[in-house]
Amino acid sequence: MFAIVERSIDVGALIDAARRPDCGAIATFVGTTRIDESGGASVEHLEYEAYRPMADRKLEEIGGEIEKRWDVGHVSIVHRLGRVDPGEASVAIVVAAPRRGPAFEASRYAIERIKEVVPIWKREIWSDGYTWVGSQVGTRDVAAGEPRPSRST
Amino acid sequence: MIKVLFFGAAADMAGTRETELEVEDGATIEEIWPLLVRQHPDLTPMRDTLAFAVNGEYARGEALVSAGDEIAVLPPVSGG
Repeated sequence: MFAIVERSIDVGALIDAARRPDCGAIATFVGTTRIDESGGASVEHLEYEAYRPMADRKLEEIGGEIEKRWDVGHVSIVHRLGRVDPGEASVAIVVAAPRRGPAFEASRYAIERIKEVVPIWKREIWSDGYTWVGSQVGTRDVAAGEPRPSRST
Repeated sequence: MIKVLFFGAAADMAGTRETELEVEDGATIEEIWPLLVRQHPDLTPMRDTLAFAVNGEYARGEALVSAGDEIAVLPPVSGG
């Protein structure tokens, strides 16, 4: 299943849907919101947006690439849009395969490809403004990840 | 007319998520860029970071655009 959703992702249901009698491994990757801190400020939540239906199609294409490269029985990729609070899942990837090697490799491949080709964007909402990840555009007065300039000199 | 969609940081800098442009048939994305920047000058510094899509598929600067097409202006993706 390949889906873009605007509600919380039921990872357990995705894993249950991947169980197959011909597969001995299910690898699951879940990307979750992490609270970063810098310059006395911290991330409060993330917000995702997508270019649809291109993003939906790109997820399916990644599934097709995986099925060509590895012996897998089942691939699910679900990405969430909108507000995602700390600890909640923004993306879940579930790969079932006859053996563990392809399951691990294919799930890693899926998340790396999502970060390369799927038109989805993430905005970090900080306590002092926001930053578009990857573009350094936003309303915070310091670049993301850099210490606040010293005012003592 | 073509429809131009802006996403993420590009929507911020453009100050809008969507615009329309009158372009000559056979224009390329490279040729359309100056028209977009004239409407939305704050996009200028983003140029080297942007990718484009025509009708929902990635397209290079030399890709041809014609009336009715949907162009998307795509900052570096950051899903996951």
